[in-house]
Amino acid sequence: MILRGILLLWIAAGIILAFTWAPLVPVLQETTRVLYFHIPSAWVTVLALGWSMVASVLYLYRRRLEYDDHAGTAAELGLLFCIGATVSGSLWAKAMWGSYWNWDPRETSIFFLLLVYVAYLALRGAIDEPRRRARLAAIYSVAAFVAVPFLMFVVPRLYDTLHPDPIINPRGKVDMDNRIRMVFTGMLLGFTGLFYWMLNLRVRVLRIERRREDQGRPMEVAGA
Amino acid sequence: MSASRSARAIWAILRKECRSEWRTRYGLNAALLFALTSLTAVSFAAGRLGDRSDLLAAFLWIVLLFASLASLSHTFVREVEGQTLPMLRRVASPTEIVAGKLLFNLLFLVVIELLTIPLFLLLMAAPAPQWGAFLGVLGLGSLALALASTLIGALIAQTRGRGALFAGVSFPLLLPVLAAAVNGTRAQWQNLPVASELRLLAAYGAALLAVSVLLVDHLWEE
Repeated sequence: MILRGILLLWIAAGIILAFTWAPLVPVLQETTRVLYFHIPSAWVTVLALGWSMVASVLYLYRRRLEYDDHAGTAAELGLLFCIGATVSGSLWAKAMWGSYWNWDPRETSIFFLLLVYVAYLALRGAIDEPRRRARLAAIYSVAAFVAVPFLMFVVPRLYDTLHPDPIINPRGKVDMDNRIRMVFTGMLLGFTGLFYWMLNLRVRVLRIERRREDQGRPMEVAGA
Repeated sequence: MSASRSARAIWAILRKECRSEWRTRYGLNAALLFALTSLTAVSFAAGRLGDRSDLLAAFLWIVLLFASLASLSHTFVREVEGQTLPMLRRVASPTEIVAGKLLFNLLFLVVIELLTIPLFLLLMAAPAPQWGAFLGVLGLGSLALALASTLIGALIAQTRGRGALFAGVSFPLLLPVLAAAVNGTRAQWQNLPVASELRLLAAYGAALLAVSVLLVDHLWEE
């Protein structure tokens, strides 16, 4: 309860500071501000995918449905943050590069993650029986993970990146102002906290639902 | 002794697949019709493309992908629909079943390609390919395609919609194959080296094979 309040205040403060206190990077100007939302979203996207994979592998070895709750929920939240990262990145690309979409390597990798998330959730949606759903989704999750490094490697050779590294660098690596770094790190922590809070909430709901179902079933049988 | 027993089981499954496919030719007909349809669509839409090797490479793989997606999940769906999978699992291990189906899918792809590619080269007025490089990309690409679609086919056969989801769910796994194969096919038409694409396809195929071996025992529950 207290932690939730702190998280709320933390992110609210981050948003206010991002728009009022943090300075602008010369090259990026007003678009600097997308940095505090776009990169944390992209980070949570990757974190959620990683967590979903780990939970999937754990499920295959331990066969406890709690792990599947984690895998499925992390993927749902990952999709949410992935859409956020894609849309904010696309808007930024329009402002800076002049086009919403250009199959830049970064755009390609986020699009691929989007595709994996959607396919994974579609697969889950097509299976009713919980244990079978957990097992098949976990298998798919591991298989899709294998494709990730290959795609990162092959696609940049298909399409030239729209802008060379030096243009992208100022927003993250070289000239990061101390105030920018503080707000950025704060938002990164805030988004990670937000993900953890949402994941935890959803997993608990799923656990309660399953317990109620397990308790409900004998009564239904007795009633029938 | 057990290795030769496994080899016999895989061989038996491959023969059984071929026989039951030949009995109806349902999958083969669907794939060939699909290949012909997409080939006609491409040919009508783009005309003769003899001097555009970049477009030729892309269209060739789109036609092959469409044709194969139409029926590569069929081997497992057929077992589930005919309720023959429990019987099959009594006589063979998951690894043997998947290996047999993989070989069948590979054979299936080769047949589709034998019929589709000459027609494609003819209709699109494509220049003569460098056969070594072309067949290398085609072979390794088909192998990776067969590996990915066999694994996903086994999953998809156990879902509610069965065939319907196959294309969408297998696409993320096929994307690296498609990208590398299109690159390699284009490179050989432009007289560029294809060694790096071949390496990439081979590495991806090996990775898919490794992951299939690791996951195969989880495919079906007791």
